[in-house]
Amino acid sequence: MTLLQRIKNMVRARSIHVAYVDVGSCNGCDIEVLACLAPRYDIEQYGIFVHNNPREADVLLVIGAYTPGWEEKLAMVWEKIPDPKAAVAIGNCPISGCLFNRRGSFVDPPVKKHIPIAAEVPGCPPRPTEILQAILSVRDSVFANWEESHP
Amino acid sequence: MKRTVDVNIPLGPIHPCFKEPARLKCEAKGERIVGAEVELGYMKKGIERIMKGRPWQEVMFLAERVCGICSVIHNMVFIEAMEQISGISVPPRAAYLRVIVNELDRMQSHLLANFSYCYTIEHETLGMYLLDLREQVMDQLERLTGARVTCAYIIPGGVRCDIPRNDAELLQASLDRIERDLRRYSGMFAEGPMIALRSRGVGILTQEAAQRAHVVGPTARASGITADCRLNHPTYRQLGFVPVSRTDCDNFARVMVRFDEVFQSIGLIRKCLQDLPAGVIRGGGVCKAGETRYSGEAPRGELTYFIKSDEFGRIVDIQIQTPSIMNIEACCHEMIIGADSIADVTSTFVSADPCIACTER
Amino acid sequence: MTTYLYEKDLVPQKYRILVAYRHDILVRQIATELDIPVQELRRYLIEHFDMILLENLPARVEMADAHADQDDPVALVLGREKYTLYLQIMSGAAMESIFHAVSDRVRAGTAMEDAIAYGRERIREELRR
Repeated sequence: MTLLQRIKNMVRARSIHVAYVDVGSCNGCDIEVLACLAPRYDIEQYGIFVHNNPREADVLLVIGAYTPGWEEKLAMVWEKIPDPKAAVAIGNCPISGCLFNRRGSFVDPPVKKHIPIAAEVPGCPPRPTEILQAILSVRDSVFANWEESHP
Repeated sequence: MKRTVDVNIPLGPIHPCFKEPARLKCEAKGERIVGAEVELGYMKKGIERIMKGRPWQEVMFLAERVCGICSVIHNMVFIEAMEQISGISVPPRAAYLRVIVNELDRMQSHLLANFSYCYTIEHETLGMYLLDLREQVMDQLERLTGARVTCAYIIPGGVRCDIPRNDAELLQASLDRIERDLRRYSGMFAEGPMIALRSRGVGILTQEAAQRAHVVGPTARASGITADCRLNHPTYRQLGFVPVSRTDCDNFARVMVRFDEVFQSIGLIRKCLQDLPAGVIRGGGVCKAGETRYSGEAPRGELTYFIKSDEFGRIVDIQIQTPSIMNIEACCHEMIIGADSIADVTSTFVSADPCIACTER
Repeated sequence: MTTYLYEKDLVPQKYRILVAYRHDILVRQIATELDIPVQELRRYLIEHFDMILLENLPARVEMADAHADQDDPVALVLGREKYTLYLQIMSGAAMESIFHAVSDRVRAGTAMEDAIAYGRERIREELRR
């Protein structure tokens, strides 16, 4: 590992910017992501900042079962995020559609079909600590040694 | 009425201030807003279509997932509507436990709404205080029901689990702590001069306009309308419930009404714990055929279920009229008009406590 | 024909709102009242309303039935406030001129039904414009 890579790893590990996008959920996962901001979970101690601005984000949290309104738009949001980037699916909805994936509904899960997903957090809804753990594990597995693994 | 203007400022669907996606198209003259349109369609899952033809056992969980923030009241209104159709009576202890859980849910929803407002007007300190306080309410909700968000606590003819004596004591202690902290935080909000500059006199919703759009909940009660569905609920009547209201009609009043309601909820839960009757928590019963309209007071206002069921307890036709529909409509067509800047648009929109997941279902 | 750069064509989504259980009953009721085809009324609503106003139609009609035009029988039958302030399907000025024409006729001795039928015809013209 070069010195430059080591410095980059160190800096990146303490600076994860998160944007979240709701593509048709029940709102339960949204508020669990919001609860991560609370002083009890204190995500800023890990160097994670929630901005909700795709252009300066590293991690995109995708919530919800992909409704028709998001066709093309989710891909547009994903393209706006600069490399290195990772998308994390929060809750059952983006993974399988949960109970919205029935005959007659408008949703089109899984979100994996539309953008690449790096990690999935099942649960309806998952606990804030689980969401936090997923973001931290993505940090270690995707962002570490990014330049060396993507020449 | 449709008009064409020269400056059109879109907000959303992804916006740092909005928890959920909605697209606000503001028509502006300089920075003054002369009109606004809301386009939805980012959250339309078709829950009502899925519900049709399914037995109540499944629809109960679907109803809860109409809105994750106020899931308890969706559960409660759906189950009480089915009880009304089928003539199932509820044991008194279960009725009181329902009120306790519902009021805890209201507290966390109001605290979250006020957090969002403080966050939007960039008062992050107060926002974080409120979010931390909300975690304490969530703990109590989890202790009582077993889940933080979608807890499916209420079932036809009763509730799922009882409250042990130990939990009741912990709940009492927690309520005391929450009340003490919240008194300080609501004082901070009420007396903060900078908050007053951003909130007082912004986003006026007159009583007439509120009535025309059928505005409900804290948004209506901040405009001097004292409508509250809890007044028609038998258990709340036993508890001697009186709605709070204010007549300022602005953002400040809406947030303060929510603070007042949290204090009121604390009082209601205390009263419930004090007079909690002994006895069973499940009476049992069978869901039958019928058609009804049933309303309950969600944290955001009047929530109405129109249900038609068949003899096996299956749902034939259903429509859910959620409070956010009326509140967002009034917000975008009345409150925002005349706002002095785009910054006031987001804060006014958030002050009405919009929930897009409810609105679109 | 409109081409969309960012937004999508919202007509299908607005149509889905209008065919929900209560909205459908409501739209049919208004169409019968004004004597215009349901499809035409739906198209008018989709073209002129944003989605949140469409969602809120049943609540607004409920409030109109409870509170609108309490003091004037002609205005009540014609739906003066109902169609302008509450439902907003036409402008206040247009409705005002129709209302004055109708109430003048009633005062001049025309039968109530005929005057109202004339007013409805004017409303239909206004909607088709």
